[in-house]
Amino acid sequence: MADCCGPGYASPQEAIAAPSEKLLYTIAIYTGTGIQKPDYLATVDVDPESPTYSQVIHRLEMPGIGDELHHMGWNACSSCHDDSSMARKYLILPGVRSNNLHIVDTATDPRAPRLHKVIDGAEIKARANLSGPHTVHCLGSEIIISFLGDAKGEAPGGYLQLDKDFNIVGRWENSMGEIKFGYDFWYQPRHNIMVSSEWAAPNTFMPGFDLEEVGHLKYGRELHFWDFEKREPVESFYLGEDGLLPLEVKFHHDPDSTHGFCGAALSTNVIHWWKGDDGKWQWEKVIDVENEMHPEWPIPLPGVMSAILISMDDKYLYLNNWLHGDMRQYDISDPHNPKLTGQVFMGGLLGKAPQVNGVEVAGGPQMFQLSLDGKRLYVTTSLFSTWDNQFYPEIREKGGVMVQIDCDPVNGGMKINPDFIVDFGKEPNGPSRCHEARYPGGDCTSDIWL
Amino acid sequence: MTTTYTVTIANRDGATYEVTSRRPLLNALLDQGVDLPYGCTYGGCITCAAKLIEGSVDQRKQVALNNRQIDNGYVILCVARATSDITLEVGVESHDTLYRNPFLDPLKPHELKADIAAPKEA
Repeated sequence: MADCCGPGYASPQEAIAAPSEKLLYTIAIYTGTGIQKPDYLATVDVDPESPTYSQVIHRLEMPGIGDELHHMGWNACSSCHDDSSMARKYLILPGVRSNNLHIVDTATDPRAPRLHKVIDGAEIKARANLSGPHTVHCLGSEIIISFLGDAKGEAPGGYLQLDKDFNIVGRWENSMGEIKFGYDFWYQPRHNIMVSSEWAAPNTFMPGFDLEEVGHLKYGRELHFWDFEKREPVESFYLGEDGLLPLEVKFHHDPDSTHGFCGAALSTNVIHWWKGDDGKWQWEKVIDVENEMHPEWPIPLPGVMSAILISMDDKYLYLNNWLHGDMRQYDISDPHNPKLTGQVFMGGLLGKAPQVNGVEVAGGPQMFQLSLDGKRLYVTTSLFSTWDNQFYPEIREKGGVMVQIDCDPVNGGMKINPDFIVDFGKEPNGPSRCHEARYPGGDCTSDIWL
Repeated sequence: MTTTYTVTIANRDGATYEVTSRRPLLNALLDQGVDLPYGCTYGGCITCAAKLIEGSVDQRKQVALNNRQIDNGYVILCVARATSDITLEVGVESHDTLYRNPFLDPLKPHELKADIAAPKEA
């Protein structure tokens, strides 16, 4: 990277050509596990040449217990590439339950991140009336974070804006319009568009998943299109039964593209949207994972597609079926007609892969992060403490695992790397559970180009 | 009018603590050195759920539990206040009937959360 430049890369193509990742950060939780220790940020050695390859080499504990670390995001990404005063130095770790925002310095010593600052959850409630933080994105030199509830945990919440020094600016959005719920969001500045999705109110999803509440409209089923500059929603798509629990939102990395995707977790469908030649936004269902019958259960089992990811070259979409137990790779060269090109099982409730590389997998494929070159997919198994406890109670004793899948970015295909597995069941303080992962140099689920 | 009650924690060797009716049980017990799990601290996230074995509490502020969980004796310590002497089981050891797989074990209409539950049929 030239000295002249700010963080990230000039383009997705430049990102793909970057050196391979050597370190990876993942959050690990004790919240809800019965172990009275703080959640932490784990540094995992992913350099195959290193003697500590496939091991946790550092743990940064949060100051208190009960945060439930979950997702995280950078203070700066490729959207600041032209700003030499900016650096990708800080990772922001929200606590979904505590409302605290932990600002972690990963640059001073990338192997051993250190806590820089904590923004107190009570202050966020008092000043912005928000709780239940989820997705962190930077926009230029500022940061916005989706919160799923107000201070009392009621939907729809809103967006908190921080300045580059992590001071609370206030609410980012000018209006939530008619939006009922919040969750994930992604923006595509060249088209002045942001898309947001819907999970549920914190008071609904935090205690666990009552499937019966879906029919009572306690969970989301809409996607929202925002005028990004005006900071207000301008159009919503009702997805109906095809879009129950629309969670992760991803645009193509190509900043000129209008194509984007959302995984509807409970329907276990992928929704695709794009801007038509007439200038209007349109949507369609492009992937539909069929429910499976469990031999002993009365209700058909959905895959529960809690995450999706698009490779940096925009050629492949990856998705998980947390309850079925498989990770899938689809070729989305034609975004209207995805083609299944790879599939592997790891855990799940159907008993298709109870062990991976000698480790018993409690849980199923959950969060994942892809290398910039598209060849290595790192997958973790825990969703959210209360939901884990419902579907995979054995995770309390076994903990989470991180698996690495080798992906073929040319011809398609997936295969579990036999030399890599991180067993969070063997952590020094007892079994913990890993969730989202990021690399120090940027990754496939953070960087946006202006 | 503040009243003092005795809390017995059955799964901590029957240890007893004095609490007042004014303070949530979580704070009252944490202050006396009891190590308890908690998360949101406003009654919404279930992390601090405990099982009430004997006695009564006022937990009108909780919004986390469905009616089945309440019928199973669960109380949300961060907002619940004692209204009598009580005996609790605490921590995840008490969560044996707190969580269920909804595809295996659906709720009946009257077992949903109070705001959407149907009246129980006679």
